[in-house]
Amino acid sequence: MLEIKNLTKIYDDGTVALKDVSFNVEEGEFLVIIGLSGSGKSTLLRCINRLIEPTEGRIIWNGRDITHIKGDELRHIRREIGMIFQHFNLVKRSSVLKNVMAGRLGYTSTATSVFNRFSEKDKEKAIKVIDRLDIEDQTHKRADELSGGQQQRVGIARALMQDPKMILADEPVASLDPVLAHSILLNLEKLNQEDKMTVICSLHYLDLVQRYASRVIGLREGEIVYEGMKSDVVAMTDEQFKEVYGQEAERVGSGLEGSLGH
Amino acid sequence: MNKQNMKAKEPQKPSLVPPWLASILSAIIPGLGQFLARAYTRGIIILASFASIAGLLGWRIYEKGRRYVEIKTIIEKAYKLSPILLIITIFLVLLYLWIIADAYFTARKSNKGSRSYGAGLLFFILAILFLLGWQIGDIDMGDFFSQADDALPTIGRLMWPWEKAIERPEDILTITADIISPCQDIEVPVAEALEIDPYVIITPTCGDPTEVDGTPGTEFHLVGGNFMTGQEIEIWWKDPNGNEFRQRQGGEYIKVMPDENGSFELDIIMPYRLVTTTVENENRIWEIQARQLLSVGDAQLSEEFKLAIEKMIETIIIGMMATLFGVILSIPISFLAARNLMSQNLLTKIIYYFVRTILNVIRSIEPLIWAIIATIIVGLGPFAGIIALTVHSIAALAKLYSEAIESIDTGPIEAIHATGANWIQTIVYAVIPQIIPPFVSFTIYRWDINIRMSTVIGFVGGGGIGFLLQQWIRLLDYRSAGIAVWFIAITVMILDYVSAEIRERYK
Repeated sequence: MLEIKNLTKIYDDGTVALKDVSFNVEEGEFLVIIGLSGSGKSTLLRCINRLIEPTEGRIIWNGRDITHIKGDELRHIRREIGMIFQHFNLVKRSSVLKNVMAGRLGYTSTATSVFNRFSEKDKEKAIKVIDRLDIEDQTHKRADELSGGQQQRVGIARALMQDPKMILADEPVASLDPVLAHSILLNLEKLNQEDKMTVICSLHYLDLVQRYASRVIGLREGEIVYEGMKSDVVAMTDEQFKEVYGQEAERVGSGLEGSLGH
Repeated sequence: MNKQNMKAKEPQKPSLVPPWLASILSAIIPGLGQFLARAYTRGIIILASFASIAGLLGWRIYEKGRRYVEIKTIIEKAYKLSPILLIITIFLVLLYLWIIADAYFTARKSNKGSRSYGAGLLFFILAILFLLGWQIGDIDMGDFFSQADDALPTIGRLMWPWEKAIERPEDILTITADIISPCQDIEVPVAEALEIDPYVIITPTCGDPTEVDGTPGTEFHLVGGNFMTGQEIEIWWKDPNGNEFRQRQGGEYIKVMPDENGSFELDIIMPYRLVTTTVENENRIWEIQARQLLSVGDAQLSEEFKLAIEKMIETIIIGMMATLFGVILSIPISFLAARNLMSQNLLTKIIYYFVRTILNVIRSIEPLIWAIIATIIVGLGPFAGIIALTVHSIAALAKLYSEAIESIDTGPIEAIHATGANWIQTIVYAVIPQIIPPFVSFTIYRWDINIRMSTVIGFVGGGGIGFLLQQWIRLLDYRSAGIAVWFIAITVMILDYVSAEIRERYK
């Protein structure tokens, strides 16, 4: 479904964020990218939907090279790829509904969207998506009145409005407490398993990785240092863990599982 | 962390001079001893403050005794005129001695490797400076309290001016009687008293005016009746040329209060008046008038009150127009002054700094000064006020707006981009919702300031109520001025409340 070939990203200030990264993503996978902050996870995710321009390498989406496409073509690819963020990136002063509707912008003409006119079909869709994520009571509240977990659900709702084939999740639970982290990841898991959406998600906690990932890629200083399937991750030793996270890393939150009953 | 601790504990280096020498050096140049005792800042502060206190004191003494030549007399006169200067001089001498002593102890402490603290000395220096400030500021509390008494009636008129807000239309009742001058053969009959209508009777009916050399003219007996009671009657003359004038007798205008029946009696000497004539000894008719001021009709709002309302409206309009123009012009400028938008390349950076500098310069000039400049261009009136406030508003709003743009959260922009939205959609959905609330809030705030400002901009000719207020104050018409002050206060209070409410909503 997605092929990343020899991807390299060097920022203007000379920082090498990604070094010759290559991997494939199959349809229906729940691919988790692990790595320390600054290891290139965010850059990698943003290269996939071209929010960041890669310096070298190629991105192949469903057999089509999208590395250099522009304009409408690029926007049409982007709307097939939903994205959720660590800090939710909602427009805080707009209502939940308006934030969710924004996910439909890629399908709406400029003129109608400027005047906030969406088709009835889109509105019905928004209500359905909001219902599905259990935030229907919040529909008309301002986004910044919601709790962190609710805000992230709005973020997911916005992504779902795009009818995405794939979801990119950039540390979706890093700003949330462990209970909410599970609930958000369960949402993603449901999308992955019931709707067959491909998910690429960057995560910090090994425990969450072991619980949700179907495959794992480990990044360190912009290079892939680990690749394994779910079974490998569950059996991952501290040594391998340190390979990715460096010598100082330790397993954090190993006590979470018990407290959450998972 | 460790390094800092070590630095704090590091012992003071020993003084470069022994304590006694430090004292002597500080006696020659205050602070030099401390400086050489390695208390560098202390030495500099002592020298600077001693020099400035001595300099200021010298200047004030010279100011007070500037009419004298000899230094001794100047000082004597200054102390006599302003005894506080003598106290300051004594304090300065004490300070000098303290500095010498301080130099000794500072040097000794430095030698022992510790630091000395100079809070007492600093406090003393500040006390002397404030004492000087009292003298330079010409502060005289006695004046304030003794003269406040005299000002009370005026302030009272300012504080409660409403008597002037209402007036009754008035009419002048004029009753006349004729006098022939000089006397002729033809007798003019003496008028008779009327039953209901007001009347005046003058006897005799002819006579001669006062001569230019002061020879008094004929004395007349004036009787009047049926006038309004309780209202003074003024006596006027109309000479044969038709000029009306009020007669003075003993330096005072002649006036009389009618009795309870509305009657009066009065003796009048015919006044001197230069009368031009074409025919010699022609019979000339003079007219004597008894005038009484009568109120007719209902009370109504006074002219001043109406004028104040008109000008208050004009003031609010000035503020609104200036805000409107300010907003329209500052929005495009604010984008040029936003760092995050303008840091793409060298050219945009140059534009950014250029725009910012100009805005800073414009903002640092007060609207009152802009109003003076504007009156030079377009003359006195509200337009000058609008120009002045617009210029200042552009500078102030562009800065506030550009800061709102700079503080935009880029997260939503990225997120909207990721949905496949184009750039117009991104601006409409991710940028505008973020900048509208601060823009509205800043605009309302500016509107508030502009209306406040427009009340005083009239003082320099910018139109509005300030213009009126300044005129009334100059004419010593404190009642009318009081009305204007009340209007300004009420408007500003309402505005304050409204703008706070709106801004609260757009937080």
